[in-house]
Amino acid sequence: MLKNIARRLKRDKRGVSNVMVVMLSLVLIVIIVDNIVLWDYQMNQLDWERMQEKIEITAAVSEGTVSLFTIQNTGSQTAHLISLWILDNSITNHQRYDLNTFINAGDTFQLARSDIILPGTPYIVKIVTEKGNAAVYTDY
Amino acid sequence: MSRTFLNNNHGVTPVLSSLLLTVVAVAAMAIATTATYVITNNLRDTMSERVIIEDVWFNSQTRTIDVYIRNIGKTAIQVKAVYVNYTSQNFTKPFNLEIGQHKWLSIYEVWTPGSLYHLNMVTTRGTHVEEYSTAP
Repeated sequence: MLKNIARRLKRDKRGVSNVMVVMLSLVLIVIIVDNIVLWDYQMNQLDWERMQEKIEITAAVSEGTVSLFTIQNTGSQTAHLISLWILDNSITNHQRYDLNTFINAGDTFQLARSDIILPGTPYIVKIVTEKGNAAVYTDY
Repeated sequence: MSRTFLNNNHGVTPVLSSLLLTVVAVAAMAIATTATYVITNNLRDTMSERVIIEDVWFNSQTRTIDVYIRNIGKTAIQVKAVYVNYTSQNFTKPFNLEIGQHKWLSIYEVWTPGSLYHLNMVTTRGTHVEEYSTAP
């Protein structure tokens, strides 16, 4: 009985092309899902992390030859600081300095830089993170 | 024995047709896969663009509006057009940024102190980066 069914199935070629079309379509769907849906998910994750990131500059002072900046991470993500701007309020100069500092969530960090000189006139300090958020401190 | 086999043409057509069908199927699949990859790759690049404005400087020495731009996305970008108050303006061309790269973009627009400006930068893939800024 079983032998007969197996023999009949072997001889019956109907529906084979349908199966092959479905399988090939599945391959295409996998490529599309891999390229778009997963990538979109990854970028959404990045945007979500960016929204969770929050930093504040609580103080900027000069002590001798060193400038001290107190930065607080009030967000829920580790912040990677990449640039610091000193904007002279007379707007004669916008100076950018490279940073490479990580601050854990909830931590306060004191950044000391001897190469940064705070201007005597009112100024603005801006710190930018790798994810694209910024904190601004104004000294008047 | 071999002569008999060579002279026997029975069953050649089914073999050839199967072979031809396989070639056609493989070619069609290759074209479909490549097309899918190209189309989805463009979409992926568009989705991956993230650009931020770090600083806007109304430069009194050059009389230009200098914008410091950083590419924080996962694909290289090219700024195609710049609009100041919804009017197209000249800027430093070509302006390309690789992943993680950052630099100044100068907009050749004579600005007036105290005026509010709406800056809008558009990439080749259509991503907008906008900012309002008041000239000092």
